[in-house]
Amino acid sequence: MSRLLQVITAADAEVRNQPLEALCTELPLADLMRECDALEEFRRRSHNLYERVRALFFLYAIHRFQIPRREATAAQGRIPFHGYVHLLERRFEEAIREFLSEQRRQGPSAALSSALAASYRSLGFQTLADQVRRSVRSTRGNQWMFRAGHPLDAPLQVRRELLSPDPATGLFPVLRESTPVRMDFSHSAWSDIFFLGMDYPEGARVFNTSIDLAVRGSGEPRPPVEASFRIIDEPVLRLVSVDLGASASIRSTDEIFDFARDYLGLLKAAVIASGLVPPGMEGSGLDLEGLLGRLTGSRGLGIELVSRVHDIPKGSRLAVSTSLLACLITACMRATGQVRRLTGGLEELERRTVAARAILGEWLGGSGGGWQDSGGVWPGMKLIEGVPARPGDVEYGISRGCLLPRHRVYPLDEITAETRRKLQQSLVLVHGGMAQDVGPVLEMVTERYLLRLDAEWRARLDAGRILDEIIGCLKRGDIRGLGACTHRNFEGPIQTIIPWAGNYYTELLITEARRAFGGGFWGFWMLGGMAGGGMGFLFDPDAAAHARDTLGEILLETKRRLERGVPFAMDPVVYDFSINENGTMAELLAGPEALMPPGYYTLRGPSLLRREARSLTTLQRRELEAFAAAARSRPGWTGMAYAMFERLLPGAESASSIGRQALEELLAANGFDRVQHEKIRADLRSGRIGLAQNRLPVATAIEDVREGDVTDARHGLPPALARLGEDALASGSLAILTLAGGMGTRWTRGAGVVKALNPFVRLRGRWRNFVEIHLAKSRRALARYGTDPVHIFTTSFMTHAPVEQWLRRERNYGYPGRVVLSPGRSIGLRLIPMARDLRFAWEEMPQQMLDEQKQKVRESARAALIQWAVSSGEGADYTGNLPEQCVHPVGHWYEVPNLLLNGVLLSLLEERPNLRYLLLHNIDTLGAWADPALLALHIESGAAMTCEVIGREMEDRGGGLARVDGKVRLVEGLALPEERLEFDLSFYNTNTMWLTIDALLGVFGLTRSDLADPVRTREAVRRVAARMPAYVTLKDVKKRWGKGQEDVFPVSQYEKLWGDMTALPDWRCAYVAVERRRGQQLKEVTQLDGWLREGSAAWVEQLCEF
Amino acid sequence: MRVKKCVLTAAAPSQRRLPLQMLIDRDGVERSILAILFDEAARAGIEEVAVVVCPGDGEVYAAVAGEHAARVRFIEQPEPRGYAHALACARSFTAGEPFLHMVGDHLFVSHDGNGCAARLVALAGQEDCSISAVQATREGQITQFGAIGGQPVAGKPGLYRIDAVLEKPTPTEAEQRLFVPGLRAGHYLCFFGLHVFTPAVMDLVEELSRQTSGPCSVSAALDTLARSERYLALEMQDRRYDLGARYGLLHAQLALALSGADRAAILASLVEMLALQPGGAGGRS
Repeated sequence: MSRLLQVITAADAEVRNQPLEALCTELPLADLMRECDALEEFRRRSHNLYERVRALFFLYAIHRFQIPRREATAAQGRIPFHGYVHLLERRFEEAIREFLSEQRRQGPSAALSSALAASYRSLGFQTLADQVRRSVRSTRGNQWMFRAGHPLDAPLQVRRELLSPDPATGLFPVLRESTPVRMDFSHSAWSDIFFLGMDYPEGARVFNTSIDLAVRGSGEPRPPVEASFRIIDEPVLRLVSVDLGASASIRSTDEIFDFARDYLGLLKAAVIASGLVPPGMEGSGLDLEGLLGRLTGSRGLGIELVSRVHDIPKGSRLAVSTSLLACLITACMRATGQVRRLTGGLEELERRTVAARAILGEWLGGSGGGWQDSGGVWPGMKLIEGVPARPGDVEYGISRGCLLPRHRVYPLDEITAETRRKLQQSLVLVHGGMAQDVGPVLEMVTERYLLRLDAEWRARLDAGRILDEIIGCLKRGDIRGLGACTHRNFEGPIQTIIPWAGNYYTELLITEARRAFGGGFWGFWMLGGMAGGGMGFLFDPDAAAHARDTLGEILLETKRRLERGVPFAMDPVVYDFSINENGTMAELLAGPEALMPPGYYTLRGPSLLRREARSLTTLQRRELEAFAAAARSRPGWTGMAYAMFERLLPGAESASSIGRQALEELLAANGFDRVQHEKIRADLRSGRIGLAQNRLPVATAIEDVREGDVTDARHGLPPALARLGEDALASGSLAILTLAGGMGTRWTRGAGVVKALNPFVRLRGRWRNFVEIHLAKSRRALARYGTDPVHIFTTSFMTHAPVEQWLRRERNYGYPGRVVLSPGRSIGLRLIPMARDLRFAWEEMPQQMLDEQKQKVRESARAALIQWAVSSGEGADYTGNLPEQCVHPVGHWYEVPNLLLNGVLLSLLEERPNLRYLLLHNIDTLGAWADPALLALHIESGAAMTCEVIGREMEDRGGGLARVDGKVRLVEGLALPEERLEFDLSFYNTNTMWLTIDALLGVFGLTRSDLADPVRTREAVRRVAARMPAYVTLKDVKKRWGKGQEDVFPVSQYEKLWGDMTALPDWRCAYVAVERRRGQQLKEVTQLDGWLREGSAAWVEQLCEF
Repeated sequence: MRVKKCVLTAAAPSQRRLPLQMLIDRDGVERSILAILFDEAARAGIEEVAVVVCPGDGEVYAAVAGEHAARVRFIEQPEPRGYAHALACARSFTAGEPFLHMVGDHLFVSHDGNGCAARLVALAGQEDCSISAVQATREGQITQFGAIGGQPVAGKPGLYRIDAVLEKPTPTEAEQRLFVPGLRAGHYLCFFGLHVFTPAVMDLVEELSRQTSGPCSVSAALDTLARSERYLALEMQDRRYDLGARYGLLHAQLALALSGADRAAILASLVEMLALQPGGAGGRS
């Protein structure tokens, strides 16, 4: 029997929990392949969900991390396009079959293993997600909702107490639910992820408390989320989000299930998950009137549901959105008798039902959290634990644990009121302001645990022990000890398991807190999934008051220092908080008190006031009267009438006109070419350019390269070459040219920070950014070859000032050689995309489908974005954002000629006449370094430019090296007439290139001496630029608003790319295949983890001298 | 166990006029609903009936009691304190004996014409315990009835041992607390409006009425009963009609007419009405 199968199926936990890596390290390729065959066969026949999933993750890890490392594995391979399409469309079994059959034909290769790894991993997660979905649906109390497909099946009715208007005021009563949020002391290293709780219920343990909050200085803490439910005299379902400023009157079921159409997705999910509009009605296309009639017992009546979050910014790590979802669900359940008491708290079974419904709602809305997230529904402090599945549970026989955990609320005699008071005194809660996505972290954790990675598994057990210590401290009233525990938890297990849970910002804050408060600082407290947003700092009570006053300044100062390199959604805030000992509570507002929250009227009031009085319903008229009375007399409402009128009549000089002016100034300062811009717009609108037009003509012959087209340096180059290169380096003939003009849109999804400055990884014990790592490699070259290569960073109008300031502040990270910035002078203005291009990108290009529910949400969002493009004016200037988010650099092609235009090359050549070569690479190609053998290879080849390529793997999308009509050249993915062609190309472009400076000048028709003539130089650059294709691309750009909210919009821009220089007939290019770790580019944050685990990070680290 | 007494509740302010309504019975005779219910009891061998009514209603009820008037007594519920309290008002009448309980706003139509109550009373005699008639009801309607959870009694099809009773549960609550093996998905066993109770029920409803000042339902008492003694449910295939529901009286009248001597004439009349009606039933409203 296979050794790995024995591990998976072992009854003995010690055998079962062995780390995969240790089991595989010594196995030769043939043995690994045999293990893969056994695992594949096993996972197909096994009925045990977790054994199956574990086999899938084993297969993933072997293909991702083991097979590519074996020498016998072919570096080159061909990924079949059909398999890729299966994978995109989530037909994982078919994809695996296709890749395995190709593997049998071609033999094992890194390329095929990358495809298999992606397929196995996706299938593993899909299997887990399907199981959670099944469990959510089959949880008792949820099942009926999936059967109710017609209003006549709908069993719920609104309670009588809510159905009669007050005789005096005419207002229907308002049911108001207020819910605290949960703050976790420890989640035992993310043990509450559904998959993990169901895999290993014994280890799934969270301790959290329900809290009320207020942004410091804004009043007493109160439950942060609130839902209001009432009957209205219109047959519609009206949803209103006061804090997001959104409202909709819904008349059909289809609209309810359209989650991303507006900002009301959470309310819609609550309406569905509470059973008001049961999930069984999805796709029925029914009008809501009949259902509302059944719910209210009367045709002509409707329901209004209003949500409100009290000034708590997004990303608080306090599960505000899940708490709001649970709050809304509770209100709807109360209103329809699914909760016994109309007012007051909940019973335990009811809380569990609400939690199950919140999980359902999250699944419907395509989001996901841990099972502790509706912890605010429960009162006070509680331990939440996974529950092993027993006979009778719907999970029994399928997974080891149940979907829903067990809550144990700690009474005051176990954790005293005094301890709780002391905790409130010592803990300073903050929102650091960072914009983060916890989703990838949850996947990483799941993967590590299922693979039982050694250090991570031990860290997990350690985290469990720390949780016990935390509870012990609370029982003893030892807050200082608690601080030590939470701090140790963060520094130890949390970051051992997921290094990305911490970051440079948090590290600086901890250092600053320690510096400012010394022994008065008792410890850091990570909240939720990662640090940087909501966080806690524990202080000696004597220092805490002062800390509350000064921590805000420290946060703000640190944010200011880092904000050009770290994505922030907002300025940091400090909270006041108190422990909520009630959990979710409801009250019934009747008579003149039956009003919605004040913000509701500033949102809805203007539209009512604009209408003719006779077109208002009775309720609307009565309500306006009641609002007017409240605005006159009720404390806290006095400014509301003014706010409503301000909204009704916005001021003359709006924020948008001020922004527009700043944008014009930015464009003018950077030499914006209005004439060219108008031409691009006209071409875009007329269809002369666009995504489809980026492609080469279909008649173009595109083939893979042939033997001899590429020099293979993956297994090393002759030592003689290295010696030659070392001499060249020692003579100072090389400068490094790092392209740092772009913003790294994919890295932060358009957050508008400078990627080059993003401290993204901890190397040699410190967080480093891209610039520092590149300089550290140059410093190492200095130590090795006795020279200090000039290091040039190209910049753009967006990156120049931040990079310059950062380098000055960090004193070039101690780099002793020359560091030169080469500023760019090209700027483009983004355009609202053409609906045609959006459809092309989203409907005609192969797309990675998402999990069923997430895909629905994505399609809904995309439909809304196409609508946005049409209604905003396709091809119009994109100006509805911060000025720097509206402009773009025009591609990295310009970054090289800019050296000629801005005088940088001229001055370097004057200073260092020996300078003859440039090593050009992207900011995110961390493995690129001045390898003397490769330099010599370039010199020996006599080529003007030597391009480095790597063997194509699954993630390498976007063109490659090809024979295009017989000429070997790099071709962009955008230019390929068919997607399929890319899969015929064996090599992927790294965009790392060795250039001979004189040959470069030659292609521009220049000599070294011509560089002194700016007119001639400019003319030369313009001439070559005209020969380069310009691509229309879609980029994501974030727009921030409200309290840390972010929207992502697609915008059109154009760019010219350096790789197209290889198409020029008048200069000679050579191609060299290099190791993947040298050529790999880090385009997305999600690549980081694999990069670290596969050993590439360690390899880069040893190239550096910090 | 021999059941000789029946308690009929008709004191709810919203249903007090219902038993007085006149219908045409199976035999084509115009009679009050109350009289039809008394017939049902008489077929079950009941000798004495007590009707719990609102204060002052006894006289009008007596006027429509027909030939059963001599065996009926009326007990007033002094204030509208709900179903359990109404039942408790008849405690002195039952006097420690088991009794048949019928609700006054329902009409029962048996397939075989022998009477639903008769079957229930006979079974209670055999089983020697409380027993409620129940009917499988779709989850969309269960919020109108009391519902039970329980286990089938081996070898006795249609008979269940009751574990839990809930008053008008939402399907959420029903799914979580009412389990009945063998029932179709989305169906629950809901009360039919007919019960045979042991004297213990009177103790429980009285206790419940004492504890609660406002209206209280019988279900809570029956939930306690299920935990304290053997309590069975009999699944009925017969029909019961809720007279208080929209068109309830019409449905009841049709059911009576279609199960009696005038069936053919009524059917012909219905077919004629349907034929004259333009369009048809159905649609997806």
